[in-house]
Amino acid sequence: MFTWVEDITMAAKNGSTTIEKEQIFGMAEQEMEYRVDLFNRLTKICFDKCIDKRYKESELNMGENSCIDRCVSKYWQVTNLIGQLLGSNRPPM
Amino acid sequence: MDKSMLGDLDSLPEEDKIRMSSMIDQLQIRDSLRMYNSLVERCFSDCVDTFRRKSLDKQEETCVRRCAEKFLKHSMRVGMRFAELNQGAATQD
Repeated sequence: MFTWVEDITMAAKNGSTTIEKEQIFGMAEQEMEYRVDLFNRLTKICFDKCIDKRYKESELNMGENSCIDRCVSKYWQVTNLIGQLLGSNRPPM
Repeated sequence: MDKSMLGDLDSLPEEDKIRMSSMIDQLQIRDSLRMYNSLVERCFSDCVDTFRRKSLDKQEETCVRRCAEKFLKHSMRVGMRFAELNQGAATQD
């Protein structure tokens, strides 16, 4: 899932400089934070769009479950689409 | 963000694995605290509207419980779908 695992493994094997390794760790941390942020935004938006705020019960009903699945799928597609439009499929650094 | 991504880390040298793992731990803690705050804010906003008394009445308390449970279940479902899409994306490459 994370491309930097290969980068770091290679850097370790090649005995890369501390600076190079630091850069890779930095990028890895940024990517992880990006993913956490993506997940949190996605969760918030789909909750707002799919869940009835009257909270009549604590379970998710069938309609809500379907809505959640579709919302996540579409959000993911939008993420990829925007990524392409911005020039690459990786998060802009 | 969970420890399942540590599987990716097995190929790394030990010190890098420890460093990555510690970075993930910190992100997880920060994210848990953030989630706590945002859940309180959300359920308060959705469930509490009157201030005639200092204590929550039964209705408000029930509402908050349902709100929190519902959000956590929702969050788990989103997590499952998100993980599926992540893996799908990987194999598409």
